[in-house]
Amino acid sequence: MAYKIAVGSSDGINVDLKFGEVENFLIYEVTDHFKLIEQRSVSRETTELNNSGNTSNAAEISEFSLEKNCEKSNCKSSGCSGNGGGCGGAEGVLEKVSLIEDCRCVVCKKIGFQAQKQFEKKAISVFDVEVPIEEALEKITYYYEKIDNHKTLRL
Amino acid sequence: MAKLLDKQRYKCALGAMQSVQAITRALPILHSGPGCAQKLSESIGSSGYFSPNIFPCTSINEKDVVFGGVKKLNSTIENALKVIDADLYVVLTGCIPEIVGDDSGEVVSRFEDADKPVIYAPTAGFKGNNYKGHEQVVDAIVEQYLKKSETKQKGLVNIWADVPYQDLFWLGNLRELEKLISELGLTPNTIFGYNRGIENIDKIPEAEFNLLVSPWVGLNNMKKMERKLGIPYLHYKTLPIGATETSKFLREVGKFAGVAEEKVESVIKEHEDYYYYLIERYADLFLENRVINKQFTVVSDAHYALGITKFLANDLGLVPAKQFVVDDTPKNRREEIAEEFKKLNFGLEAEVSFETDGFKIHEEIKNHDYHGYPLVLGGYYEKEVTESLKGNFLNVSYPVQDKVVLDTSYVGYRGGIRLIEDIYTVAVQRFN
Repeated sequence: MAYKIAVGSSDGINVDLKFGEVENFLIYEVTDHFKLIEQRSVSRETTELNNSGNTSNAAEISEFSLEKNCEKSNCKSSGCSGNGGGCGGAEGVLEKVSLIEDCRCVVCKKIGFQAQKQFEKKAISVFDVEVPIEEALEKITYYYEKIDNHKTLRL
Repeated sequence: MAKLLDKQRYKCALGAMQSVQAITRALPILHSGPGCAQKLSESIGSSGYFSPNIFPCTSINEKDVVFGGVKKLNSTIENALKVIDADLYVVLTGCIPEIVGDDSGEVVSRFEDADKPVIYAPTAGFKGNNYKGHEQVVDAIVEQYLKKSETKQKGLVNIWADVPYQDLFWLGNLRELEKLISELGLTPNTIFGYNRGIENIDKIPEAEFNLLVSPWVGLNNMKKMERKLGIPYLHYKTLPIGATETSKFLREVGKFAGVAEEKVESVIKEHEDYYYYLIERYADLFLENRVINKQFTVVSDAHYALGITKFLANDLGLVPAKQFVVDDTPKNRREEIAEEFKKLNFGLEAEVSFETDGFKIHEEIKNHDYHGYPLVLGGYYEKEVTESLKGNFLNVSYPVQDKVVLDTSYVGYRGGIRLIEDIYTVAVQRFN
């Protein structure tokens, strides 16, 4: 049975983004193999910004979008911890979680407690690992293949 | 098809965390899911400096199943060494890491140079129950920590007996065995309980011999120590309860250790005189045949089933009905243990069944003709069935619900008297 996996990656090769940092989730579809089928944008504004090309360096983009995020959720910047840029409070997390709720699991470098709990509620598995995407997907699909078919994981 | 086990009397091998806990200042580090320690811990005297609620645990989850939990184990050990002051750290692995193939042994070997010893025992539940797990822990100590000693301490004897916590009376029993051994002029060494610990573990290789008092648990450890540390062992299968068995026990240990016969006999005489003084005083109670039941059944691990059966038959002259050994004894040991049940005084022989299914055991108890009310010594599970037969019940083995034991013991002359007290306390209540 086909299912989808959401991955947080900046380069399409490694799982290297924290959940909060992800602006475009890479959505993979798994049938008997896995393939990239979609890039799902977290915030339309950010995407537009990217496309318009009126900013020259990447740092500016992320800084800008960080501010945007904070404005949107009325969150004071002092309350945002880390450089995740995903500080949207419970609301922001919920939005982001809903965005990929059709996926079976989500793979990011780190995923905060709030978000993990929200995923748990929707029965979406969370894998916070820092490995190449291919390795992650191979291991995850191997695991799902086994448990879906009631096969042992015993080596 | 999976089978259900009705009224289980043991835990999974990870239950051996209790054996580690019984070693003072030894700390189990669990490489398992977060619920394992919680499920395996009970309020049977397991609080204190270390208790199951604070055992470091990798709390592995789905992610570690998919990607391996090795990293987490490494950091858990590293931090346990930093924040918990213990003398010995024992990593115990549960089912999950062993199924998905974490190389826990390799991770532990990275800590060879740590200030404190870190060892590792594979205690996955599918490998066996906590009796097996207990053996694994002792094995780990022998294999990974102890080294052969060139010097031997004269008269030093390592004593191995009960599985701590699984056996309610483990502490008292070990102390009583120690006392008996020291009366023979030997020096006992045990590693479990108060005032024992890493120093006693260090003394193990210097012992002249190992004394194993158990039908089967620990036999593999004895063999391992014989091979690796060059320590011979005496395997005494019956837990000595009461005068007959304890005297037999002292004679055999004395012979093995080369203690002068007069010395052994004088120890025995002193104890027996007092023992039979007590028995004589209560002879009217014992001889009043309406008080006590004619036949009895023990439902417990091999350790107690054998010890109590011999005691009740030899010392109290009761007739054994069928006995049930519920510890999932390895198949290759069953025959010799069954043979032991046939070595009773007065030409008596006890039939024994190695059965783990509580339902079947209860059916057999219900269908047996005890020539009156039965006397059942067993786990709490037997209370109801015994009550339905209007019999007398005493909770002596796992699970224990209606008894609090701090350091009482059923071993030796004193232990026999204790057991008589307990049994007759139940019996006389029927009339009062």
